[in-house]
Amino acid sequence: MSFELFHTDSRAWHLVHLGVVPYAEAWDLQARLVEARAAESLANDVVLVLEHPAVFTLGKRGGRENLLVPEDTLTRHGIPIVQVERGGNITYHAPGQLVVYPIIHLQRVGIKVVDMVERLEEVMIRTCAEWGIQAGRNPLNRGVWVGLKKIGAIGIAVRRGVSFHGMALNVNIDLGPFCWIQPCGLEGVGVTSMRMESGLDLEMTEVRRVLTQQMQTVFSVRLVPADLNHLLPSGLTLSHATG
Amino acid sequence: MKELSELKFPENLRYAESHEWLDAEGGTAKIGISDYAQDQLGDVVYVELPEVGKSFAKAAPFGSVESVKAVSELYMPVGGKVVAVNRALDGSPELVNKDPYGEGWMIAIEPSTPDEAKLLFTRQSYLDKLKG
Repeated sequence: MSFELFHTDSRAWHLVHLGVVPYAEAWDLQARLVEARAAESLANDVVLVLEHPAVFTLGKRGGRENLLVPEDTLTRHGIPIVQVERGGNITYHAPGQLVVYPIIHLQRVGIKVVDMVERLEEVMIRTCAEWGIQAGRNPLNRGVWVGLKKIGAIGIAVRRGVSFHGMALNVNIDLGPFCWIQPCGLEGVGVTSMRMESGLDLEMTEVRRVLTQQMQTVFSVRLVPADLNHLLPSGLTLSHATG
Repeated sequence: MKELSELKFPENLRYAESHEWLDAEGGTAKIGISDYAQDQLGDVVYVELPEVGKSFAKAAPFGSVESVKAVSELYMPVGGKVVAVNRALDGSPELVNKDPYGEGWMIAIEPSTPDEAKLLFTRQSYLDKLKG
């Protein structure tokens, strides 16, 4: 796939590192950023980089049928299950998984929805390659795979021309709870992480640095670190954010 | 991926900024998404449509379309009440890609104010907008 052919805007995108943020808070923040971006009260696109405490999320069309344990099991472990508007099926997030939510005005930047998905895959493939991991696409399903094991998941939504939700790359996440679901609703496939595949003790900060660098290349943009409080006028309520 | 010149935009339709089309000929108006929109989305795998009888204001979301791993909202080009829904899309969502102005239509509505359609883009003004 040749990325030079795409028309891209060379503007700078805000890069916001949020640390570990509960799912609901990050979801609410995305909704506010999408609204501001669609209304142009936010002039630039934004990339949120974060991790979530353990949570299962369901796509627009559900995926509860791919939960292999009773919901009680999740409750007992204190893991919530949330239904969201993104594409895709059930998935799991937890610390050790690098989550990226690009809030991009796709129409203004000139990126097709289908290309957005492909480029996010490309960013994860290139990031894995930096650690010698041969990850790639799989006709079975979108996302990024090492053989029949998924290492990176994708699910986006588009509202008023602005993308949100995004991608999740398994860095050194505890893969245990993935056994409780059929990832993406697919049978006979597994999940893996960069740590599993490389056998290395990976630093999240280092993977984050490489991934944002790859994002700049793949999208032909500059990611400029920004403070969330300066992006949204009404002050921010990310009470639980750390790091 | 198509060039703009390869996409079709019928002369008899009106177009919304959010890329839906409206066929306002006759008493009810049909709504779908433009050839440009389906090309932007990629292969459509699911279309979520409202129930007959529901009313929506202009620009309100009336459903969504899922292309692979991406859910995009659909918006009313004009306000109105849903009088028919294209159930063929339940089993064959790919019709939105194959025939966006024909078999890929989404809903038919009774417009709340007939004149609202006149505010939409004509084929030419929509094309001008797409060319930026």
